[in-house]
Amino acid sequence: MKELAHKLRTSQVSSVELVQHYLDRIRAVDSDIRAFLYVDEDGAIAEAKASDERRRRGEPLSPWDGIPIAIKDNICTVGTPTTCASRMLENYYSPFEAEVITRIKQAGMPILGKTNMDEFAMGSSTEFSAFYITRNPHDLTRVPGGSSGGSAAAVAAGEAPWALGTDTGGSIRQPGAFCGVVGLKPTYGRVSRWGLVALASSLDQIGPMARTVADAEILFSIIAGHDNRDSTSWPNAAYRVMDAVPDNLKGISVGVPEEFFAEGLDPEVACSVRQAIKMLENLGAEVKPISLPHNIYSIDTYLTLVTAEASSNLARYDGVRYGLRVEAPDCTTMFKKTRTKGFGPEVKRRIMLGTYVLTASHHEAFYEQARRVRTLIAQDLEQAFSSVDVVVTPTTPTTAFRIGEKQDPLQMYLSDSYTAIANLAGNPALTMPCGIDRKGLPIGLQLIADHFREDLIFTVGRVLEQSLREVEAGGEL
Amino acid sequence: MAELARLELSEEEIALYQQDLNRFVQSGAELRKIDTDNVSRTAYVGRAFSLLRSDEVAESLPQEVVLQNGPKVVDGCFRVPRVMEDEI
Repeated sequence: MKELAHKLRTSQVSSVELVQHYLDRIRAVDSDIRAFLYVDEDGAIAEAKASDERRRRGEPLSPWDGIPIAIKDNICTVGTPTTCASRMLENYYSPFEAEVITRIKQAGMPILGKTNMDEFAMGSSTEFSAFYITRNPHDLTRVPGGSSGGSAAAVAAGEAPWALGTDTGGSIRQPGAFCGVVGLKPTYGRVSRWGLVALASSLDQIGPMARTVADAEILFSIIAGHDNRDSTSWPNAAYRVMDAVPDNLKGISVGVPEEFFAEGLDPEVACSVRQAIKMLENLGAEVKPISLPHNIYSIDTYLTLVTAEASSNLARYDGVRYGLRVEAPDCTTMFKKTRTKGFGPEVKRRIMLGTYVLTASHHEAFYEQARRVRTLIAQDLEQAFSSVDVVVTPTTPTTAFRIGEKQDPLQMYLSDSYTAIANLAGNPALTMPCGIDRKGLPIGLQLIADHFREDLIFTVGRVLEQSLREVEAGGEL
Repeated sequence: MAELARLELSEEEIALYQQDLNRFVQSGAELRKIDTDNVSRTAYVGRAFSLLRSDEVAESLPQEVVLQNGPKVVDGCFRVPRVMEDEI
């Protein structure tokens, strides 16, 4: 991205040319991949022209002024639809924009369009979009992951230089791993949730998706920061990109939780991640075994909390103030008919589970118990960070699965086995590509750090990425 | 349950979700066996800080913009079917 910024600064390329390049690419490949729900050609070109004009006057808004971006469709934008890939919001135009969109605009970045996702961000494959599925650019018979599958596929296919996704249990990192792109789930409270359509408010975060760790760091620095309209936004949330990273990792300790390499992990994924860990060691990092014993409960804990919060958050779709309405003679029937028609099967499933765990007779055994186990899971990580700087794990148990392969919802939920922990505990976590399997599919490695220590993740990630690139180019380890 | 969630489900859907619910309950059985008597419930993750902001008057969205997505808007209000008889 620094190269693009340099070309814009030195007038080797204009923002209009750049935006046109991505629009051409979208036109060429998106009929196969279908990463976008909405492409805003006119809006993006208009913003690019304004950017070029600012540069002509010598007044760019930021070094990234004129570099376009794609936005997941659960982030509110003005002038383009925000559908959450749901029939419920098919014709919804937000009257206000998300804080992250304001920040993107303040940096001068044109918005290419809105990307596909699982309906209301519920899913791990983008197959639950109410409109159409998105395909993995590495293999069109496979899913891109989800729920930010559209953003991941768009970046992987070169339809956008970078994108915003959202992550509640792994929805940036799992598709990032499946599509071979970098994605960060920031510390809870670091990026404003104002204007993000809520799935589970105590877990949701917006984050960057990009082709390199360095680019993800830049995009993170643009969107991070305090916002008093989000009561969970941290006062010191701003982030500054590190000028330079060291060429080794001396003095950095890396924890490896053996529980993450147990049953259920694809051997090729395990092998690739272990090689990367070896590389970290060769770069000077101290590698230590650690234990996160409660992670085996993370999926059940996560499911209990996410369905409970979702069933409550989605109560707002009642046909009164926005979205779909199915007319009926009385209010209750109108609510029911509207919700029955507007929500897809996975959304209904989760609303039903969430309603169950919150009922008077079950909420203590299910919901309250999950909140307590969440504390134990978070304490595991807290304990780990008293002795290591970052934790390294595989991002997902397998590489991208085939479209239609996971018909069983409970099997699908296991995709988040290694990622949900960071949402439950609020920690920042990044996925980056660390290899490919024999089928040619990308393998993702996850780096987790202590709260607000994205700097450590980016340091380790950038050094590792550099080293992986050298090996790929034929250099010696 | 569907009544509580304000959903109308077909017989097939009820059967399907019941099956999912049973499996969900089974898979989480271990979770409910963990001794958490002395464990507090997580309400907020991360560092605690003051949630209060200064009490300042700020601009809000104009009424017509707020109402622009309303499926049925009459005289600056969202219009809904009769409520009273239905609930009492």
